[in-house]
Amino acid sequence: MLTIDSLSKSFDKGKNYALENVTFNLKAGHVCAIVGESGSGKTTLVRLIAGLERPDHGRISMNGNIIASLDKFVQPEKRNIGLVFQEYALFPHLTILDNILYGISKVKNKKQRAQDMLDLVGLNDMGKRYPHQLSGGQQQRVALARALAPEPSLLILDEPFSNLDAMLRTQLRNEVFDIIKKTEVTVLFVTHDTQDALSVADEILILQNGKVVQKDVAANLYVKPNTLYVASLFGSTVHINKNLQTAFKCPLNETCCHAIRNEKIKVNPSTGDFECEYITAAQVIKKIELGDSIQLLLKLESGEQLTVMTQDKNVADIIHIGFNSKDILEFEQ
Amino acid sequence: MKQVGNNSEAFSLKTRLKRLKRDSNRWSVFTLAIVFFLALPIIFIGVELFSGPGETWSHIVTYLLPDYIWNSLYLVFFCSILVLLLGVSSAWFVSRFDFLFRKQMEWLLILPLAIPSYIVGYAYAGIFDYGGSMDLIFRQLNLDFIRIDIMNRAGLAFVLSISLFPYVYVSARAFFLNQANNLLEASKMLGIGERKTFFKLMLPLARPAIVAGLVLVLMEVLNDYGAAKYYGVNTFTTGIFRSWFSLEEPQTAVYLSALLVIIIFALILFEKWQVRKVKFTSSKTNSTQIQRKKPRKAIKWLIFSVVLLPIILGFIFPVAQLIYWAVLTASTVFDAKFIILSLQSFGIAITSAVITVFFALLLIYFSKWSALRSIRNIARIGVLGYAIPGAVIAIGIMIPTLALDKWLIKMLGNLGIDSGLIINGTLIALFYAYAVRFLAVAYNPIDSTALKVDNSIPDSSKVLGVGNLRTFFKIEFPLIKTGVFSAVILVFIDVMKELPLTLILKPYHIDTLAVKAFEYASDEMVMEASIPSLFIIFTAMIPVIFLNKLLIKK
Repeated sequence: MLTIDSLSKSFDKGKNYALENVTFNLKAGHVCAIVGESGSGKTTLVRLIAGLERPDHGRISMNGNIIASLDKFVQPEKRNIGLVFQEYALFPHLTILDNILYGISKVKNKKQRAQDMLDLVGLNDMGKRYPHQLSGGQQQRVALARALAPEPSLLILDEPFSNLDAMLRTQLRNEVFDIIKKTEVTVLFVTHDTQDALSVADEILILQNGKVVQKDVAANLYVKPNTLYVASLFGSTVHINKNLQTAFKCPLNETCCHAIRNEKIKVNPSTGDFECEYITAAQVIKKIELGDSIQLLLKLESGEQLTVMTQDKNVADIIHIGFNSKDILEFEQ
Repeated sequence: MKQVGNNSEAFSLKTRLKRLKRDSNRWSVFTLAIVFFLALPIIFIGVELFSGPGETWSHIVTYLLPDYIWNSLYLVFFCSILVLLLGVSSAWFVSRFDFLFRKQMEWLLILPLAIPSYIVGYAYAGIFDYGGSMDLIFRQLNLDFIRIDIMNRAGLAFVLSISLFPYVYVSARAFFLNQANNLLEASKMLGIGERKTFFKLMLPLARPAIVAGLVLVLMEVLNDYGAAKYYGVNTFTTGIFRSWFSLEEPQTAVYLSALLVIIIFALILFEKWQVRKVKFTSSKTNSTQIQRKKPRKAIKWLIFSVVLLPIILGFIFPVAQLIYWAVLTASTVFDAKFIILSLQSFGIAITSAVITVFFALLLIYFSKWSALRSIRNIARIGVLGYAIPGAVIAIGIMIPTLALDKWLIKMLGNLGIDSGLIINGTLIALFYAYAVRFLAVAYNPIDSTALKVDNSIPDSSKVLGVGNLRTFFKIEFPLIKTGVFSAVILVFIDVMKELPLTLILKPYHIDTLAVKAFEYASDEMVMEASIPSLFIIFTAMIPVIFLNKLLIKK
């Protein structure tokens, strides 16, 4: 449905690239999350797709038609893409109803359609209000209704929940995606929060420094991350460097990079019997009680420091920790 | 973002050209056309330079040019000192201290801007004239051996400074109010005294703001014609007038204009260099208001008088003198003809304000809609007219329109139509000149309100399937209305006050209040000039107060 082909964009004439050689496909009806830190190029990517920026190189096609390339540029108003901005961007001088009507002025039964959209997002009695009279969450839903009203073939959500506090965020995320599922629209969802991505996306695209580092279904990203960066995005991860390999007596292939997730490191509260392939002794430097579990800061003989979690309340000063080879993550250098 | 060495393909000449082709749209072309149109007068002056100087040029170079240069330098030097003293001290005192009538004085200090310099000049000429107010006072005090002659270079510097210092006051005060509080507190915590804080901390930090105000003052000083003419001081502007009208030598006027423009661009470069050198002020405005100190009683009166002095000199004295004259001459000046003249003047000012604002809107939005980023920088060239003296713009328009008219008359004559001058000497040329000169006055308030509208607002309109023009009318215009409105008012005031450009380009049968005041003064009827002058001042005053409210809100 959406095809991105070696897309590049620079804002300083090629000295630095906000986006470099990005290539991927998006299937119709799928929800794809774009995950990356701030400055990774997420927003640039969706602005290019929406037609709010022009690419320096590469191609964007929708349903087989090129919408942006070096020779061609389809104006944003002709692309039939819905976009929900991070700061909602509701028109402050128009009522909620007029905001929703704005994009469907040429549609038959537009009044009915706008009212349907208000019903869909659960704000049926708010049509006459102005944006500033609504709460953040309500404004968010109006922005969604406004974007969905023209029945876009692609809906882009640019960090839609980042202005909300944690409680409201989870609730609204679920609500928003319940609404979206009813419309069966294809969705690109930009976020820096992996929890957001994992909970709603069919597939996830990871951007780092303007480049795609991995695109996969959620489960694979956890089990088979392409890089240490991707691994650490989905849970804290320890890089098994040379020192750790020596400490655990586990020689690993030198041409690759290895890591282990913190939660896969097993903890033996004493130095007694312990079934693990690779084991080492560690000194407990600090214990932090976190409700039902305890976080331990450990120091190995080699001087390396590690953090692990345990449920056991009785931890000796010197303990054993270890892991198994099946849990080792392996990436190319 | 990462350094990329081998991705040169995206920025090879071939792909750049492809993108240039893809991204040039009609808006880019329109923007270039408008910039060209606005720059045309200056381009013509540049082109005319190549046809050589006029016959009297060598005479002027030997006998008059040294005078022009020397007088202009003299004015620039002494006006700078005076406006800095008046502007910075008053700005610092009203932002740092609390004293009697401080709030009222804060906006009273802006009012001198409502009086055009030449009118202040007329008033002071009257005050210090033989038999004038000062003379009467001295006679009462048996001091009639004292005679102050103000009709000279020093007097002109005084008059210009006293009427233009608010430019420095406004920009310095804005800095002190918005930026200074944190720094002041930090300085206080470090145990630094008041005087040292001002000279070592605030003054250097405020320098870019102060220099920006000063450059505006100096542009106005070099632009002045009315006051210099009345005081008999030869400057570049009076020289341009003399070569145009008395010597009837356009070429000489062109050469003088070019020299003047060079001096002004040197000033602008000086400002840019100053700002670049000290670019350490934070762009964030401080939400905490400055804490004003309550000074000791003796100092309180000292501060009070220091702040009151420029108000008295720049506003109360001249206005009082004008009102006195107005009472004496009301019966002869104020008649039906005068009312028609005022209406004409308002009409011209309103029409040109609307036209100028229209051009500013076109320039701002066309360049925004152009997908080429370089177009936005080019658009700013259209704003430079503000730096160019009215007389120079007028010459730059006069020469090509005269030539065009000659050609048109000939062409129409061939067709058997007897037409007079079509552009030259009509309102078209005048409106065009005002638009060139005052575009920046309209551009800046609109641009700054437009910048406050987040890009995502028009962007979301476009994504919702609505094109640029409809987005503008439906979404952007309603959100920038106040900026557009204040732009209209600001241009309106400037046109009301404008003299040199209007004198050169106005149609025969049409007069403005400013021209009328000038004519009275030139015909040794300076008392009669008071009524049109007061009309200008009062129309300009209301918006000046309104503008101050905007400034405080900001």
